Amino acid sequence: MAGLLQVEGLRRRFGSVVALDGLTFDVPAGEVVGFLGPNGAGKTTTMRAIFGLTDLDGGTVRWNGASVSQADRRAFGYMPEERGLYPGMLVGEQVEYLGRLHGLSRAESARETAGWLERLDIATRRGDKVETLSHGNQQRVQLAAALVHAPELLVLDEPLSGLDPTGIDAIGRVLVDQARSGCCVLFSSHQLDLVEDLCDRVVIIDHGRLVVAGTVDDLATSGARRLQVRVEGRRDAEWAERLPGVRVSELSGGAVRLLLDDDTDSDEVLRAAMTAGRVTEFSFTRRRLSEVFREALA
Amino acid sequence: MKIVGVVAVVAVVLSLRIALYRARRRRRRDGGGGRPARRSLDLPTLESALGDVGLVAGREIRERVRGRIFRIGTLVILVAVAAVIVIPTLDKTTTLPQQKVGVVGTLSPQVRQVVEVAGRATREKVVLAGESSRQSAAAALRSGKLDVVIVNSTEMLVDHPLGSSKSHADVPFVDTVAEYLGVLQAYERAGLTTAQRAVVSGARPVPVTSLTPGGKSAVQTTSVIGLVLLFIMLTQYCTWTLIGVLQEKSSRVVEVLLSTVRPIQLLGGKVLGIGLVAMGQAALIVGVALAIGAAVGSDLLHGAAPIAVLAELLWLLLGYAFYSWVYAAAGSTAERQDQVQTLALPLSLPVLFGYVYSITVASSGGTPSLFFKVLAYFPPTAPFCMSVLVGLRQATWWEFLASTLLSLAGTVAVAVFAARIYRRAVLRTGGRVRLAELVGRPTAGRRP
Repeated sequence: MAGLLQVEGLRRRFGSVVALDGLTFDVPAGEVVGFLGPNGAGKTTTMRAIFGLTDLDGGTVRWNGASVSQADRRAFGYMPEERGLYPGMLVGEQVEYLGRLHGLSRAESARETAGWLERLDIATRRGDKVETLSHGNQQRVQLAAALVHAPELLVLDEPLSGLDPTGIDAIGRVLVDQARSGCCVLFSSHQLDLVEDLCDRVVIIDHGRLVVAGTVDDLATSGARRLQVRVEGRRDAEWAERLPGVRVSELSGGAVRLLLDDDTDSDEVLRAAMTAGRVTEFSFTRRRLSEVFREALA
Repeated sequence: MKIVGVVAVVAVVLSLRIALYRARRRRRRDGGGGRPARRSLDLPTLESALGDVGLVAGREIRERVRGRIFRIGTLVILVAVAAVIVIPTLDKTTTLPQQKVGVVGTLSPQVRQVVEVAGRATREKVVLAGESSRQSAAAALRSGKLDVVIVNSTEMLVDHPLGSSKSHADVPFVDTVAEYLGVLQAYERAGLTTAQRAVVSGARPVPVTSLTPGGKSAVQTTSVIGLVLLFIMLTQYCTWTLIGVLQEKSSRVVEVLLSTVRPIQLLGGKVLGIGLVAMGQAALIVGVALAIGAAVGSDLLHGAAPIAVLAELLWLLLGYAFYSWVYAAAGSTAERQDQVQTLALPLSLPVLFGYVYSITVASSGGTPSLFFKVLAYFPPTAPFCMSVLVGLRQATWWEFLASTLLSLAGTVAVAVFAARIYRRAVLRTGGRVRLAELVGRPTAGRRP
């Protein structure tokens, strides 16, 4: 299915640094898409390009098949990495003002502002200046500002950074609900476990190029078979390293995660584990997003 | 009485401030965290007429007008302007000597005019009092209730010989009135018609030209005061624009704003909003000045002075329109608040030059040089120089119009250039952007 948002061959160079090098991907409607990549991969530049906030050397951003216009951008919601709010402005007025800039009437904006501040649990701070709020609450105000006009596309740059678990849960629920109501949601994060929990699909980029894209389920089940083995009293993986067709992927908390070649017999692995000690866990597992990420960038 | 009035106004203002302060404290004590949002200043006409530009301008107006600095600053300027207008009149009334003039018989309009003219000429405040007879007038004169008596417009009485230490009568005043009354009698004896008398009575002294400049006239004083206010307000409003742009950039809110409005809309709204606040404040100050001036009969707002004031008001608008774009563009190249001084200093040089030069010319009251007149057509210095030419009545209407049109044309050119710099600079972070990087053609890149 063609996505509503289409990023096609974006190129951007800052002096000698190549920020985007022909980047292409889609964001389908009704899905939460995680936008991943190491620092300097080009995520923020891509997001800014969607809003026309950076000049491009090449490529196009399309919305419903046509180049993005100023009118389209009014229907988008944006939360930049470096939060942008007027520090001395009152919370309620700030969100209302941004709602009006996105085309809402005075009454609509006031109503939606009240609703979002309530939902994000900051209604009691409506009459306070933004600068008096904690980091987490400022983040909620920023999210309310991005959502107040019921955007068709929501682009969030690191929306979960610096939040406590309660804040992450609250914002995560909002993102999923937005997607389920038909909105395209694209957000970047380095918290891969959270991305795995929240996202339907991920796009991984590096050096301004697409590396991997797909649904979380497809990526989790693709690639080599994975075994997680725990041998009592052993915190190393020496017993597995000598096995043919087996690679050690990860060693954590006494459990060894192994990658098996297609023709490798898992019974051979079990026998080797039993030789090393008493086996307390032996199971096939899905590929974690952190593993997908590391393998994609290896 | 005037002092009492001024004290009463100050007392009312202070009471209001204290009441507001106490109410605010009470509200905070009762739980500031959950207090409702303040009632917003509604500007529906502006916002609906101009769309996004109006919305941006409306926010600027609300935030500026609410600011404590703006309110206190306005109050301070109003008090200063009121003081400049009221204090000279207080001084004038307390030091002006008074002549109590008794009148026996009918006081004709001509004689009343004679007495008033003589009072002004000799700087005496004249108080007229009717007396029923020569005897009662003489008694009042002896008791000191009157200083001078005019009897039937044909005779004057004083209590002691003129010039003696016991006399309360002002010698020049009495001499002047006596002389004019004699002239009026001569008109009557000569059998002049009413029209002829009016012509003779309306005679004015020929102008006396001094070869060396004398003291400042009221218009000059008003012009100088206006120039000082023009300089202060122009610098203040343009600095607001610079700081406003810089704050939006440094707080990164500009990125959120530009995701939905165009750079020119954001910049235009900011310039318009601050400009409207500026004009509102300036109009308030001028209005209050004119009202106080009229109430206390100040010389500072007589004759051509109101025209000079209105010209300065117009040039404040034109000057702000020209400079605000320059300051806004400069603000977009900075990153931090501490860079404001570095940016504002070079920008303020033409303003400072125009101001100092104009103050010098306005104070001297002499004929402005050709160079000064040329500067009155140069948009950066026109706000000051043309204001002075108007105050000195050295500019015709078409010269004023030509200067205005040139200033508007300059503003359009500067706005186009500033918008270009703003668009390129405002989203660039990581240090101050050099002008050379902004004025040339972009090496690469286009908006997607």
